[in-house]
Amino acid sequence: MRDWPNTFRAAGYVVSRAFRGMAQAPMVQLLAVATTAVCMLLLGTVMLAWTNAQGVAGAWGIDVPVTVYIHDDAPTDEIEELAGLLEAIPEVTSVERVSPQDAMTRLAEGLGGEASMLEGIEPGVLPSSLEVHLEDGTSSGFISALGEKVSGFGVVEDVAVAGSWTDQAQEMLRTVGNMALGAASLVGFACMAIVWSTIRLAVYARRSEIQILRLVGGSTQFVRGPFIVEGIVQGALGAALALTLLYAGFDTVRPFLEDGLSLLFAAGTLRFFTPTELAIGVAFGALVGLLGSRAAAGRYVVT
Amino acid sequence: MPILEFSSVTMTYGRGRAKTEALRDVSFTVPEGAFSVLVGPSGAGKSTLLKLVLAMERPQEGTIQVADRDIHRLRKHSIPYLRRNVGAVFQDFKLLPDATALENVSLALQVLGLPRREVRARASKALEQVELEPGTKRSVSRMSGGEQQRVAIARALSGEPAILLADEPTGNLDPRLSREILEVLARINRNGTTVMLATHDPIVREAGVITHELGLEAGRLVSDSLADIDPLHAVDLEEDTNPVLNGGVPVGAVA
Repeated sequence: MRDWPNTFRAAGYVVSRAFRGMAQAPMVQLLAVATTAVCMLLLGTVMLAWTNAQGVAGAWGIDVPVTVYIHDDAPTDEIEELAGLLEAIPEVTSVERVSPQDAMTRLAEGLGGEASMLEGIEPGVLPSSLEVHLEDGTSSGFISALGEKVSGFGVVEDVAVAGSWTDQAQEMLRTVGNMALGAASLVGFACMAIVWSTIRLAVYARRSEIQILRLVGGSTQFVRGPFIVEGIVQGALGAALALTLLYAGFDTVRPFLEDGLSLLFAAGTLRFFTPTELAIGVAFGALVGLLGSRAAAGRYVVT
Repeated sequence: MPILEFSSVTMTYGRGRAKTEALRDVSFTVPEGAFSVLVGPSGAGKSTLLKLVLAMERPQEGTIQVADRDIHRLRKHSIPYLRRNVGAVFQDFKLLPDATALENVSLALQVLGLPRREVRARASKALEQVELEPGTKRSVSRMSGGEQQRVAIARALSGEPAILLADEPTGNLDPRLSREILEVLARINRNGTTVMLATHDPIVREAGVITHELGLEAGRLVSDSLADIDPLHAVDLEEDTNPVLNGGVPVGAVA
């Protein structure tokens, strides 16, 4: 059975040796963190652009293939009956009920700094609607046919079906999404390579210590552990630094971008990453660091 | 009861034409508490034999047992646990030059995951055993060769190993320091630890501390002789040499 207190103490030695090792070559560490940060900054910029492009698309409604506008005086039970029929269609993933108040809130959010334009306007001027979300890849023919069929219902005032321009917008979003994915892979590999080379240097510099640890009975985890910890710290710090720089840059250009967007698309609110997304970003950096350091230390630091 | 047993061990390096036979059909046992010495010219296979005991190499044929443990079929992840039970001292000391004696010895105890206080206490005790001051702030790079070798011995001892191996421990030292180191090893042996040295330093044979001698030549065991003395009461280094081991006896002469 594993001796847990001793295992934890050994882990403590591993972490303290990792930090001692990093302190022995601070310039190398700084360089590794800075280079990782530059790579992560590129990835963060693409991810942030993608996130906000999705937000703008959402505010503008291009992510909704079919919007069913309802008469003001339509009975609730008939609206619900229509919603139920739509939800029963296999290609329909969800049907969202949007009240006039919801529509007004969305519009105000979309206008961002220009929301004051809506002062004095009652929400009632906007119709309530059902937003019909479909499975990815649903054909435009099916969407048109669905729109035509739904427009025959008595409660329906109008039906807006996404046209070819929204297809193009969606395609553009997909392209940005793929770019983000591609950038994530490239940056992931680049960061791994940076961490790998730094850890290889550290392994080389501490080869005597490694040899001694192996000879006195240090387990593979004990010998390799400090290098893995070092890689994780480098990756996480690089990601954290990149996100900090990105926030500073974003905060600077945000007012100009929002003004431009509100004029062009009536959708002027941009957002930075949420705390969860930031945590995922730092964790991604740590993971890349772990993989890079494991690859560097793996072959050379075995019993 | 043997602490170390080799049975028909053959070890080769390389393949094809580059194949070199380092050990050929070597069999012997080392009794518990012995002060055993491996003698032979350079290239006889002494270092290879010690590497096999430390599982740094694997034999192609034969079996090796250390403290009743079959090490020839030890899995990779079990090797560190074997090494914690086999102390090793090397000719080039293998110490961290910028660390103090205490830090160097502590390293061997940290791998065991012992509490810091216990690490310090055991490392200090091991240094005292080799007559070094545990509290010294000097890095080992500023110590003499003899002191460095003592630190290496203290490190090997600190884990209370079943057997202490030393590969040419006096190889880098002058005769006076060599005698000092042998004295330290003899004292450790008298305290009950089995010691096995690989050497071609004549001082070791002259010192009179050996209870068991193995002679190697071109990878073959050519002699295996036991001295008829109680290892715990081996003669002091100041006294005359052990007369039983003058040249050893042929393989098979010892039952």
